[in-house]
Amino acid sequence: MSYATSGRSARAFSTSTVDNRPVMGGLRQWFAPEKTPRAGEPPDYRFSLANERTFLAWIRTGLALIAGGLACAQFLPPLPIVHLREVIAVALLVLGGLVALRAVDHWARTERAMRMGADLPASRFPAILAIVVALGALLLVVAVVLRAVV
Amino acid sequence: MTNQWTPDHGASAERTRLAWRRTGLSATVVGLLAARPAFAPHAAAGFALVAAAAMAGWAGLIALAYRRSRGLRARPPRPGERTVAAYALITVGFAILGGLVVLL
Repeated sequence: MSYATSGRSARAFSTSTVDNRPVMGGLRQWFAPEKTPRAGEPPDYRFSLANERTFLAWIRTGLALIAGGLACAQFLPPLPIVHLREVIAVALLVLGGLVALRAVDHWARTERAMRMGADLPASRFPAILAIVVALGALLLVVAVVLRAVV
Repeated sequence: MTNQWTPDHGASAERTRLAWRRTGLSATVVGLLAARPAFAPHAAAGFALVAAAAMAGWAGLIALAYRRSRGLRARPPRPGERTVAAYALITVGFAILGGLVVLL
């Protein structure tokens, strides 16, 4: 069964009831996506559960980043550059927190899109996260190589 | 539509329950790492507070996952509702606790 065959996308919904305000509408949607908007109809529960598993996978990604930050803070020796250890730890923690926030936001927006029979929300976040992590790793590799050479 | 039970041949409810459990195990690692500094000799009092908050947050996450597992047992499974948002916010709380561990 696919989204296209569910027959909901063909139906005309009044989209004027959708609360599109970026902050408050978003927050309300986080806590009760099935009530905001009231329009639309609940999707097949299997789609909702798949959305929930995706959310949980992102939460685990966030938890792994947080665990990495905590491990850096506690198990790395003081690094030659002042506060570099703390900077790495805080960067990982901030990244983990952002991943968690974005996970719930994306979950709620996907839930709403499924209710409304709309396209699932697209996101640049995975690409941005990948680039940030890759750049961070590259910087550390450069630092290690410089340290070995100089 | 909501009250119609579509057979769950893909075991999606069970897979979701296991995903909650996996996530709980990840949260356990984070909780232990956040609590660890409190057990160093002559640890500052702040670390004890961080450890207490980490244990409370961990208990909260486990309780949420337990509640969600019960919701998943219904036919059809109940929607995630607030559990999902609360879980994410407690995870953010762990990131903040981690910041305290770094700064203390």
